[in-house]
Amino acid sequence: MEYSFEKHKIVGAIEADDQYWRSLEEGEFRLPRCASCRHWTWPAHFRCGRCGSWEFEWASIEPKGAIFAWTRTHYAFDRVLERKSQVPYVTIVAEIPAADGARVMGILKGDDRDLQTGMPVRGHIEPPDASSKWYPSIRWEVIR
Amino acid sequence: MKFRGSAAVVGIGQTPYFKRGTAPEPELKLALRAITSAAEDAGIDVRDINGFISYASERSDPAKLMPALGTREVKFASLVWFHGGGLPATLNIATAAIMAGQADVVAIYRSMAERGSQRLRVIVAQNDTSSQYLVNGLDSPAQILALRAQRLMQHHGVPQSALYATVAASYYHAKNNPRAYGRSIAMNEEVYAHARMISEPYRLFDCSRENDGAACVLVVSAERAKDMKQKPAYILSAPMGTMEGGGALEENWRPYYATAGQKELADRMWTESGYGPKDVDVAQIYMNMDSMGIGAMVDHGFFPMEEAGAFCRVENLIAPGGELPINTSGGDLAEGFIHGMGLLPEAVRQIRGSSTNQVPDAKLSLVTGGPGDLMSSTALLGARETL
Repeated sequence: MEYSFEKHKIVGAIEADDQYWRSLEEGEFRLPRCASCRHWTWPAHFRCGRCGSWEFEWASIEPKGAIFAWTRTHYAFDRVLERKSQVPYVTIVAEIPAADGARVMGILKGDDRDLQTGMPVRGHIEPPDASSKWYPSIRWEVIR
Repeated sequence: MKFRGSAAVVGIGQTPYFKRGTAPEPELKLALRAITSAAEDAGIDVRDINGFISYASERSDPAKLMPALGTREVKFASLVWFHGGGLPATLNIATAAIMAGQADVVAIYRSMAERGSQRLRVIVAQNDTSSQYLVNGLDSPAQILALRAQRLMQHHGVPQSALYATVAASYYHAKNNPRAYGRSIAMNEEVYAHARMISEPYRLFDCSRENDGAACVLVVSAERAKDMKQKPAYILSAPMGTMEGGGALEENWRPYYATAGQKELADRMWTESGYGPKDVDVAQIYMNMDSMGIGAMVDHGFFPMEEAGAFCRVENLIAPGGELPINTSGGDLAEGFIHGMGLLPEAVRQIRGSSTNQVPDAKLSLVTGGPGDLMSSTALLGARETL
């Protein structure tokens, strides 16, 4: 399979999360855990800091969690100008209990009224498009 | 050989602050101006500076500076990792270099001029922000720190009034400071609350404004400082670091998220200096964004999170009589922002007694580094009596 995100690669930070994006493009939400000690490692990295293993397994989990933090952006910032027409838009940091509280970012989908930390959210996998820099993405919808 | 009090700041120099992208001179020239005025302030021949230290994405490196300074020899040069978190740690490196005999006169400096360097657009943008942010519409520190502010307010219950108090105190001090870029802004609750929204919960005045400008402080051994022109500001402690659970973890910091990641640093600083939060006379709190400075004050033990609203009242945060006067030059929010570098000279002026918002008889002067940075630092400066 040819992956869109690989053709539009963003260079920056640790860069151990290719499998996350590949999985999303395949329609699955997967997060890494250490193959040896089972510790969830997010953001993805190359070596388990707990036990020293270099092997990870990318476990498929249900994208459900709660709002840990959020912001509504009112300005079209330089490096995310693809979202200019969507301003104001909301970005959510969702905490995922099934992955030991790993926090995964995504754009809010649907009703954006009265957002509060702790609100339950459900993830929807979106295919790559211009606004997500041709990466696949997960969008969080508040379960009301 | 003890770190505490082994070195002192004996010179300070600053250019004016300019609106970003409008400095009349290039970045390197601003750096030269700051360094030469610090040498003049200290009564040191600028050619004798033999150590050069900066932090973050500084581009005026000593190789470019030395021909124009007439530098006799560079013996030591170093850049502290990461962004504004590295600011107070420059004092750590300078002291260590001097103690180890690797340098005698150390210049700590930071210069920024957007037009020439394209710093924000190019330098900071490079290899720093992961795809996890950019795919989800997050680019600016204002947005990323807004996430943490939302957590601080909604989850931990810190009221908006606490954020406002830090802003109002900064602008109150700026009014008396002829260098302050924001001195003419009449800040009040209405102006604050109706400013344009940037990234919720941040409105315009919750954020620092990046300026063009440069600043420098000179550090020498305590022994040498004794006989110099200016009253020395001794470096009592300046630890740097990040605890397990922090680092390049995007929004996954644990257990701290909404504060500044400076708790263990601050604890080490209190231990090394022998002082505690109640002893501090005046504090320059790095405020890229106001709520992050509140996190820094919590981490330093000035008040617990649940008392942020009660402690952060305007009258409590201003000189001369507040319980903890902060950002007495106007600070990052109202004086100007060159990655926090304006805070160091102001901390020194408080020890000298020459601030435009002087805290009477200030002897212990705190400078905190970039809050929430991947790695941070903090420093306590003291007058001779505190040694």
